[in-house]
Amino acid sequence: MLKRDHGVVLPTSIRAPGFRVELEGTVFRLLATGSWTVHEAVKLDGALTRLQVPIPPTPEFTGEVDVSGIAELDTAGAWLLQKTADRWSGSGLDTSFSGTTESFRILIDEVGRRVETKPVDEEDPGTVKDFSGEMTRALGGIWQDARLLTSFLGAVTDTFGRLIKEPWRFRPLSFLHHIDHAGLRAVPIIALICLLIGAVVMQQAVVQLRPFGADIFAVNMLGILALREVGVLLTAIMVAGRSGSAFTAEIGSMKMREEIDAMRTLGVDPMDTLVAPRILALIVVLPLLTFVGDIMCLVGGGLMAKAYLGLDVAAYMEQLHSIVDFRHFMAGMVKAPFAALIIGLVGCLEGLKVSGSAESLGKHVTSAVVKAIFLVIVFDAIFAMFLSAIGI
Amino acid sequence: MAEREIIISVRGLAKRFGSQQIWTNLNLDVYRGEILGIVGGSGQGKSVLLRVITGLVEPDAGTVEVFGRDVRELTPEETVLMEARWGVLFQDGALFSSLSVLQNIQVPMREHLDLPQSMMDELAFLKLAMVGLKPDSAHKNPSELSGGMRKRAGLARALALDPEIVFLDEPTAGLDPIGASDFDNLIRKLQQTLGLTVYMVTHDLDTIFRVCDRVAVLADQTVVRTGAPESLVKHPDHPWIKEYFCGERARAAFA
Repeated sequence: MLKRDHGVVLPTSIRAPGFRVELEGTVFRLLATGSWTVHEAVKLDGALTRLQVPIPPTPEFTGEVDVSGIAELDTAGAWLLQKTADRWSGSGLDTSFSGTTESFRILIDEVGRRVETKPVDEEDPGTVKDFSGEMTRALGGIWQDARLLTSFLGAVTDTFGRLIKEPWRFRPLSFLHHIDHAGLRAVPIIALICLLIGAVVMQQAVVQLRPFGADIFAVNMLGILALREVGVLLTAIMVAGRSGSAFTAEIGSMKMREEIDAMRTLGVDPMDTLVAPRILALIVVLPLLTFVGDIMCLVGGGLMAKAYLGLDVAAYMEQLHSIVDFRHFMAGMVKAPFAALIIGLVGCLEGLKVSGSAESLGKHVTSAVVKAIFLVIVFDAIFAMFLSAIGI
Repeated sequence: MAEREIIISVRGLAKRFGSQQIWTNLNLDVYRGEILGIVGGSGQGKSVLLRVITGLVEPDAGTVEVFGRDVRELTPEETVLMEARWGVLFQDGALFSSLSVLQNIQVPMREHLDLPQSMMDELAFLKLAMVGLKPDSAHKNPSELSGGMRKRAGLARALALDPEIVFLDEPTAGLDPIGASDFDNLIRKLQQTLGLTVYMVTHDLDTIFRVCDRVAVLADQTVVRTGAPESLVKHPDHPWIKEYFCGERARAAFA
């Protein structure tokens, strides 16, 4: 903001902005007064727009914008003055400025030069076009995702193949770190969740089956359900939320700070150092966590069996043994490494897809979790159908 | 010229980070309408001083007065008014990455003023042109801009409300010599056009000689010297100043 006289505190009456138009001889004069700043811009703009542009009766009439009454001027004020002068010039009045100080003149000239560069509007496609474009993008996105994930699976397989041939490339420290973070530290929460869900399922089953006198079969139901589906699904979903998102965030923030590019230029393959240890750690850890989950589910069910059916441990175990055998356990367990692979692939791939902005990081972390859980459930359904079909 | 108005006055500032004492009893005055360069070795707290003046970092002792008011004794409402009177350009622009360049420039307008969208658009385009960016960069995201363009966009945002003081944190760092010299000229021109007071943290000797009216040297935990760059070159009475202003690179810049 430029002041006509530095250091003088202006009384409010002088600061109030305003203007009037006078005709003197053949000169239409706009006398601007007060403080022409961005704070007053809305009022001034309204008044200036309502102001009729004087129509010169003969060509020798000229316009003049007299700013000698202006106490304070900033870019917005200069822009308003320039706009008015341009409108007057457009209607045939040759308009110039008068009463400018050196600093006012520099600002008004500078703004005048810049006003000539016209704003560019963002392209706004029509609603229908917008909608169809959005649909095409969404469908194309699914196709694109599937393609990327498949090719990433190929790249990871290739990496594992190379690691078998050249085992010294493997990073044991990183591998152990991820076993610790994704595995050991996930045990308490997974144990707790599975215990609670096991208990809830048992309790609900007993309540529903009791009118038929079949409440003892609640144990059978829980046994099958826990080992085949609930244990592995709950564990996979928890791990996708905990570790899948962490993978994306870690790799994504490295991508944002160009660390991944730096690794490539140093001859360090990010697939070896970042992706392989993470995915391998998950593949090792998820079956173990699933085992913990299975057991805790059965324990939770046992607690409810004691409370609602009065079964002691021996009776509960006997009832379980009557229906559950090793193949049920395996039917659940076999899914765990596949779920781990999906979670690891999606987490790492989304991390590598992160681009410059913080917003993009957040978007990819969210989509990593959503996609991982979605794919895990889809694969679980396919497995369930397949295993039933082959009679396990 | 009449007595120059002091616009920023720093008195008796002290700050310690952990075991490291950064300043003891630092004093500094900034006059209205000047371009002040802050130089000093690494770890002398050049950027921290900027943050203390703008209220982002609390000092351990001392006072900071801007426009004659102690920054730390303002009510929240007064702080908002104060913030509208200065603009800060951070090192890499610090543009909000989820907003377009145009929206970035409009953030302070939205926050402090009640303007219609059309006027904000026109004013933002005007600021964009004033910092030398093309209108077509307005709808780009910050990540699509080059480093120099990001700085210009950050400057446009700092200037959105026509502030009286602009703080620049290493404005030419990371720019090529041509880009840096363009940026120097831009700062000079904007300072003349808008009557700005510029507080500039810099390493760049070219920038110092080309645009700074006065230089303040941070060393030995305080401001050891202030003065015009030429006078510091002529009378380098401090070892660090001697090394900085009379070294090989300085001679090249001064030549």
